[in-house]
Amino acid sequence: MRLILLDQETDKRFHFNPLALSRPIWELRYGITSLAEKLIAATGLNATGLNDVACFVPPYMADVYKSRTDWPVNDPKSLLGDDLFIVSARVRAEFFSEDKTDSKTTGPSRVKFDDDGDCLLIRVAKEDIGKLKTDSIDSLIESAKAAFETCNCDVPTWNYTWELILENPDQLIKDFAMLGRSGIEGTVEQPSGVRGSKNDIFIGRGALIHPMAVLDAEHGPIYLDEDVEVHPFTRIEGPCFVGKKSILLGAKCREGNSIGPMCRLGGEVEESIIQGYSNKYHDGFLGHAYVGEWVNLGALTTNSDLKNDYSDVTVMLDGRTPIDTGSTKVGSLIGDHTKTSIGTLFNTGSYVGAMALIAATGKPLPKFIPSFAWFLEGVVTKGFGKAKLYETAATAMGRRKCQWTEADLKMWDEIFKLTAPVRKPAVAKGRRSLARK
Amino acid sequence: MATVKERVVAVTARVLQLDPKEILPEKTFTVDLGAESVQSIELVASFEEEFGIEMDEDAALSVENVGDAIAFITKVCKEQDVEI
Repeated sequence: MRLILLDQETDKRFHFNPLALSRPIWELRYGITSLAEKLIAATGLNATGLNDVACFVPPYMADVYKSRTDWPVNDPKSLLGDDLFIVSARVRAEFFSEDKTDSKTTGPSRVKFDDDGDCLLIRVAKEDIGKLKTDSIDSLIESAKAAFETCNCDVPTWNYTWELILENPDQLIKDFAMLGRSGIEGTVEQPSGVRGSKNDIFIGRGALIHPMAVLDAEHGPIYLDEDVEVHPFTRIEGPCFVGKKSILLGAKCREGNSIGPMCRLGGEVEESIIQGYSNKYHDGFLGHAYVGEWVNLGALTTNSDLKNDYSDVTVMLDGRTPIDTGSTKVGSLIGDHTKTSIGTLFNTGSYVGAMALIAATGKPLPKFIPSFAWFLEGVVTKGFGKAKLYETAATAMGRRKCQWTEADLKMWDEIFKLTAPVRKPAVAKGRRSLARK
Repeated sequence: MATVKERVVAVTARVLQLDPKEILPEKTFTVDLGAESVQSIELVASFEEEFGIEMDEDAALSVENVGDAIAFITKVCKEQDVEI
């Protein structure tokens, strides 16, 4: 059986922006692994006859994603020749651990759509494939909707990025238990301070913990992946995951953080997820935030994650409509390749688009900064344009031995177009403001 | 109605805080008139607002002197059917 991961361009997809602008939703980091890894594990790859994985992503990101995965991407041929189990990236993996017929990957062909008609699950028995149109994933979904029975089950879904942030600490604990790894394969230089059970700590091969670092696993496990480096005076509080080759530079790494590979982390970080390849080298507080890749947060960049009146935090995903997160703690969502200047202050529940360049004003910034914005002099401008941002992106990637490709350029050009409707009014407002000065 | 040249000079004088008499066609924005990078962006935004046009930022920021800015803005106004 083949698992097909599905990320369609539905109305709800933008709920995962700015992080999902440049990647399929299932690539989002959550706990120790990604949503995709969780879906694959939960649906039982190899264990229940599932023998391969294919995926369908928004077409504009297909070429870039092909270079990052071994799975077939947007290939209609992957809809033929085997039993299929199609799963939306928004489906929570825990659904498959429920002991229900509909959560099984086997059984009769069936479909499940949400209330807005978005596809969540399709099971296609091999003998039923002939009943479906297989020239594209959209045709297959439409024909399956007409051909197969709908499950009555409730399928839990992810609806907003901040849900991942808020549930990350618990997921870290679950993932640590599931991976079942503990012990020290790297080097811990003395004196060091380890609190809690050593069974709750895993230090991967090649990882180096300098003297005077504290690993506090009393309230949750700590997983430091291969070649992580922890500099003196860093304090890591579990639950926490730090990805390969990341460096912690005297960081106050509070509970609930998932830090992806190749990051540089300093200052105070709490209950935040950093996808990978991003720098928060210096002092400054990052809390309840989700940060993309290739982000650089300048020294003293700080986000608020709690309002002074302790009311629920709202986030504006479209620049206009506040969405109540239902939580008193939400920091900022920061898209790939965004850079902040020294002293940048983000308001509670800020949306900071991808490929944005932010210069501090000394005051908390607006809660919505569109992608590709040059935020200068307190307003959104077109700045020096996207070509300059691409140059910087290529330089940043080159510093980590990664390459900015023609496919990246085309994808980001599409993202530039996709995000234009919310950026243009912000630029016009900024222009008026500058002209009035 | 003021000419394109007069309007360009007025905007430049306001943004860069200069005497309009100093703003001559051959003067470059950066070296001669002292525009810093952020002021270049402010100039582009202010020209767009003054003339009601949208300029391609790469093309606009490649304009070096006042005379070329007048010519560039005149061209963009014609392309975008803006009366000048």
